[in-house]
Amino acid sequence: MKYLLFICADGLPAPEDLAVLQRECPRWVEEMDGRGVRLLGRELDLPETAATVRVRDGETLVTDGPFAETKEFMAGFDVLECADLDEAIEVAAKHPSSWFDAIEIRPFMDGLRLGEAAQAFAHGDDSLGSVYCLMICLDGIPASPEEEEAITRESKAWGQDLEARGLQVLGHPLQHKSTATTVRVRNGETLLSDGPFIETKEFIAGIDVVSCADRQEAIELAAAHPIARYHAIEVRPFWSE
Amino acid sequence: MTRPAVQRAVDAAFREEWGRIVAALIRRTGDWDLAEECAQEAFTEALRRWPVDGVPHSPGAWLTTVAGNRAIDRLRRGTRGAELLERAGREALPQSDTDEDAMPELFDETDEIEDDRLRLIFTCCHPALPLEGRVALTLRSLAGLTTAEIARAFLVPEATMAKRLTRTKAKIAAAGIPYRVPPAHLLPERTAGVLAVLYLMFNEGHSASSGTELIRAGLCDEAIRLGRALHQLMPDEPEAMGALALMLLHHSRRNARVGGDGELITLEEQDRGRWDKVEIDEGLQLLESALRRRQVGPYQLQAAIAACHARAGSAAETDWREIAGLYALLEVQMPSPVVRLNWAVAVAMAGEIEAGLAIVDELSGDARLERYYLLEATRADLLRRQGDQAAAAAAYEHALPLAPSEVERRYLLSRLQEVGRSSFALDTSRADA
Repeated sequence: MKYLLFICADGLPAPEDLAVLQRECPRWVEEMDGRGVRLLGRELDLPETAATVRVRDGETLVTDGPFAETKEFMAGFDVLECADLDEAIEVAAKHPSSWFDAIEIRPFMDGLRLGEAAQAFAHGDDSLGSVYCLMICLDGIPASPEEEEAITRESKAWGQDLEARGLQVLGHPLQHKSTATTVRVRNGETLLSDGPFIETKEFIAGIDVVSCADRQEAIELAAAHPIARYHAIEVRPFWSE
Repeated sequence: MTRPAVQRAVDAAFREEWGRIVAALIRRTGDWDLAEECAQEAFTEALRRWPVDGVPHSPGAWLTTVAGNRAIDRLRRGTRGAELLERAGREALPQSDTDEDAMPELFDETDEIEDDRLRLIFTCCHPALPLEGRVALTLRSLAGLTTAEIARAFLVPEATMAKRLTRTKAKIAAAGIPYRVPPAHLLPERTAGVLAVLYLMFNEGHSASSGTELIRAGLCDEAIRLGRALHQLMPDEPEAMGALALMLLHHSRRNARVGGDGELITLEEQDRGRWDKVEIDEGLQLLESALRRRQVGPYQLQAAIAACHARAGSAAETDWREIAGLYALLEVQMPSPVVRLNWAVAVAMAGEIEAGLAIVDELSGDARLERYYLLEATRADLLRRQGDQAAAAAAYEHALPLAPSEVERRYLLSRLQEVGRSSFALDTSRADA
């Protein structure tokens, strides 16, 4: 099964924690790549670089900052291929972020494909141009069944259009938030909680990674997504040294 | 054979076999709903056939075969069934064969059914599931309670409980929670998780005291039954023994702890002749063999505390020093303000009231106990023992609005009246913790 690990942060790390993260994260990546459970992953830029995009009455509304107005934020993600949830939990509990903050495990819907662009992204290939993460955020206003149908249809078309234009790196919906498990390790003990890390009514329903010229183009791509008409899309660049 | 006799035979088989049948079918089909439905149909069939054909020599084997055949029938029908059959075939048979000759093997009786029940209990109690979902699913899948019964036991509408069960099962499938007994390195913490679910179930029933709450009280029997099953499945696990012993020792007092008017009777005032000797003996024996393994855990310690009360011929003979020592050990293993409060009571009852009150005072600052009526009720009782009736009355008054139910409220009111009358009776209300 394929899982998305959201690396969660509850504010910026303390200097001593940061030192541990900087030392241990590369080791984790090396171990999990070696085991073949980690398919790819990247750190996101800080939350203040995010823009949240909504389209209402045909007008694109852009607000600065992440989708949830809490001090918790998503700091990055990894895509895993695991035998089952127990293995995903074990992998998450070895990630140093779970020792200080938390890691949210979300199963993908079936059928995630990782193409050439995703492979290049996985290896940090810069020829892609600027890569941005688009997080599809549902804020709890249920659309009618007809609207849901239209969203699903248009989302597919949106993805196909991006792929045709060579802008899509990867993109796939996640299973419902009620299938989420949040992992924290405290005093050597793995603590699990049912549900997403950020306990607001908004939740992330899927991610897309796009490569484009600049932030403005990423925002335009987000605004063209049907979800933006009903909910919100957070646009964030990835971390670069 | 008479109809009531058949009904009794079916009821007995239900208690004994439900969990086994469901567990085996889930492993073979991967479909929880299908497993429950087919098990249900097998029992319905038994009610129809057994009055005519007689109760079979081995009711369990009969029911398992019928349920298995029903599952095969269903899997052969419908597109969803075809998918399931393919999946069942893949999981059960290495060659991923779905032709008809292979099908009976999906439901053969050669593998270890007991392992299936363990798989089921560990999956129902997986820590990634919501806690209330774990309890509900364990009662449904292992104990065979209906959704309506579980809803009544937890005082929620049936639709709410149905949704909770559906959601929990959906997470198992969608999130990829494995259907298995955890590997050795996960076993201790996962076992503790299973015991926590059983003990929570027990306490839900135990706290239900009035006659109108008999359905909730049935949760105690279910928890003990599941506790026995777990002990039987994991005979070398001392905490499983400890948890079962703890539940039995508490349960042994059920007929003595509530009076004719539904009022709470404190441990000290209970008629010990009404304690269930059979359950006490079983609990004490279990505890003894658990402690012999020298891997003491929180359930064994709590059972050891309950055992001190069970062994005392009268309240006055209670070994409070021993109990205080056990609470001190328990606090190391399971740090909690409630454990500390109970320790305070034991210290006071062992003769050091000042020291006990000092611990209670310390706990007053703990935000976790802010709305906990037993903090003030304990302070009140210790003050009363000390002879400070005015202070005791004030503390009882503080406790009153925090009491969770009418039973506790009436108890506090009667105590309040007593201190008003300057009674100097000893009180050990908190010893029944």
